[in-house]
Amino acid sequence: MSEINAVELRNVVKRFGHVVAVNGISLRIREGEFFSLLGPSGCGKTTTLRMIAGLELPTSGSVMIYGEEQGYLPPYQRPVNTVFQNYALFPHMTVAQNVAFGMEMKKVPKEEIKRRVAEALELVRLTGKENRRPKQLSGGQKQRVALARALVNRPKVLLLDEPLGALDLKLRKAMQSELKALQERVGITFIYVTHDQEEALVMSDRIAVMNEGDVLQVGTPEEIYEMPQSRFVADFIGKTNFLDGEVVEVGERAKVKIADGVVVEASVPEGKTFSRGERAVVSIRPEKVYITPEGELPAAEGAEAFSHVPAKLAKFFYVGAERRYVALVGDTEVVVQVQNVDRSARRCQVGDNVTLHWRGDQARLLKE
Amino acid sequence: MKKLIALFRKRPSLQAWLLLLPSALWLFIFFIAPLFIVLIYSFLERGTYGGVEWHFTLENYRRTFDPLYFKTFLRSFYIAAVTTIVTLLIGYPLAYYIATRSPKRRGTLVLALMIPFWTNFLVRTYAWLTLLRKHTGLINVTLMSLGWIDKPLPLFGNDFAIIVGLVYGWLPDMVLPIYAALERLDRSLLEAAEDLYASGPNVFRRVIWPLSLPGVVAGSMLVFIPSLGAFVTPAILGGGKTLMIGNIISNQFLAAHDWPFGAALSFVMMAVMLVATLIYFRATSDEERRQL
Repeated sequence: MSEINAVELRNVVKRFGHVVAVNGISLRIREGEFFSLLGPSGCGKTTTLRMIAGLELPTSGSVMIYGEEQGYLPPYQRPVNTVFQNYALFPHMTVAQNVAFGMEMKKVPKEEIKRRVAEALELVRLTGKENRRPKQLSGGQKQRVALARALVNRPKVLLLDEPLGALDLKLRKAMQSELKALQERVGITFIYVTHDQEEALVMSDRIAVMNEGDVLQVGTPEEIYEMPQSRFVADFIGKTNFLDGEVVEVGERAKVKIADGVVVEASVPEGKTFSRGERAVVSIRPEKVYITPEGELPAAEGAEAFSHVPAKLAKFFYVGAERRYVALVGDTEVVVQVQNVDRSARRCQVGDNVTLHWRGDQARLLKE
Repeated sequence: MKKLIALFRKRPSLQAWLLLLPSALWLFIFFIAPLFIVLIYSFLERGTYGGVEWHFTLENYRRTFDPLYFKTFLRSFYIAAVTTIVTLLIGYPLAYYIATRSPKRRGTLVLALMIPFWTNFLVRTYAWLTLLRKHTGLINVTLMSLGWIDKPLPLFGNDFAIIVGLVYGWLPDMVLPIYAALERLDRSLLEAAEDLYASGPNVFRRVIWPLSLPGVVAGSMLVFIPSLGAFVTPAILGGGKTLMIGNIISNQFLAAHDWPFGAALSFVMMAVMLVATLIYFRATSDEERRQL
């Protein structure tokens, strides 16, 4: 990955009246990167994207594209293009006219426009649909016209605002891999806004998780999923179990008492400090938990060194490829997800006393 | 009863015809039939004190092309065209302003636009008379007393006065269809255009204007056609000197007692309006109308 910053945000704040939409965020998005802004609706991700596009101006702070301060530059003077959530195709123009629009505004010679429109439509596999009107296209086709219309201008950065939001699930999955492949082929920096965590994980090189106007964590999909730094991130990305407890031993690997006589290990996120006696939360992903009949050890390497937690099996769901158990630790529900090949898990019946196990470094200690 | 229901279920078009019947009867008796009578009259000779003599003639139509009347036609056409353009120039920005306000404000502004038109048209036209009159008109009196002008401006009894009156009278008919078109306009299209390097004027020229065109054409028709046939406004504000075709027609019926000639003039005017309407349907092609 290049070390050049395609986009840099410094302490960007956006207020609408008294509402703070973006609360002083700083981000560096590298050249050629597929970067996602991920968060629930109202977290400020779209506002952030619109400030890069120039459709909104920051209340304070600075937006830079390739080191150049954008300041009050209007959208039509910025080297970026946007794929809008509802496509925003011009209804009175054909597909080809839509795609040609940006180049016409930039006074690109007619011959070159023609050639590049054809190339762009080929890139998104819409050759032959040049003279259709947006009304005559399916959702997926509209989506691809919007992509071609933006990409044909060879922007330095492509901004995408939940571009797959209006598509049905199956088409969305297909477009995810198509988009990712397209991005790798054209090599343009993509900044992608989504509230769909799976979409962000699958497509992105890096993700910024946002909530209530703040960036909570920036990292690769793996870092975000495996090493969440806050309860919000652990909760928002994927599924997880939270167990409340009291820190009894600190260090890189902390020990936490989650019930009388039950102490588990959990890794401490970088840059966070906990003190002995502090109330905290242990986060453990359902697929990282082993379940066995009471007192047994799972068939995994180094199982003796795992954290062991007595529990009572409350519910069981057969999900085909996997089996899902809900066990009670005290009165906290812990979801356990095992591959449908695990033998020791199969011997557990609803109502039985069981033992849950996990590797200490796969649990995360988080602030409450 | 059961049989009747079964009949209607089997032939749904019967239901539609039944529903159409009252309005069809109304239109036939009070619209088509009178129009037909006017058409017949236009081919007959005049009676001495109004009415008609039952002798077929084409003389009435020949007379409409008499230079005297033909000039009035052209004049009416010119006045209606200028009225339409001025109304558009004033009405479009107003419609755009209203359409870009918050939904609640839009309602208030549309209401504000309509309120003056709840007053009788004649009264409003006479109000303009008191504003525009040469020596006693409010505008001239004010400007003279302020010493800004030495002699009264020619505001009354000419084309200017008629056009002012017509523009005022038909402004809402221009604003409302344009407003309706602009209100439907998706804001994200404007953002997309800006994002694709279009500056303000280009956004207007390439996106806003073409998408509001059906509203513009509809509004222009709604202003042009009644302006062409206007007779109250020119009668009052034209000061009896500047006449339009509508005044000549009403004169034929009310003063000259030449009903057949009045009828012929009416039909020629209808033909002109029909042509204008056809142009409207051309300008907004099928495709565009389907789109909006």
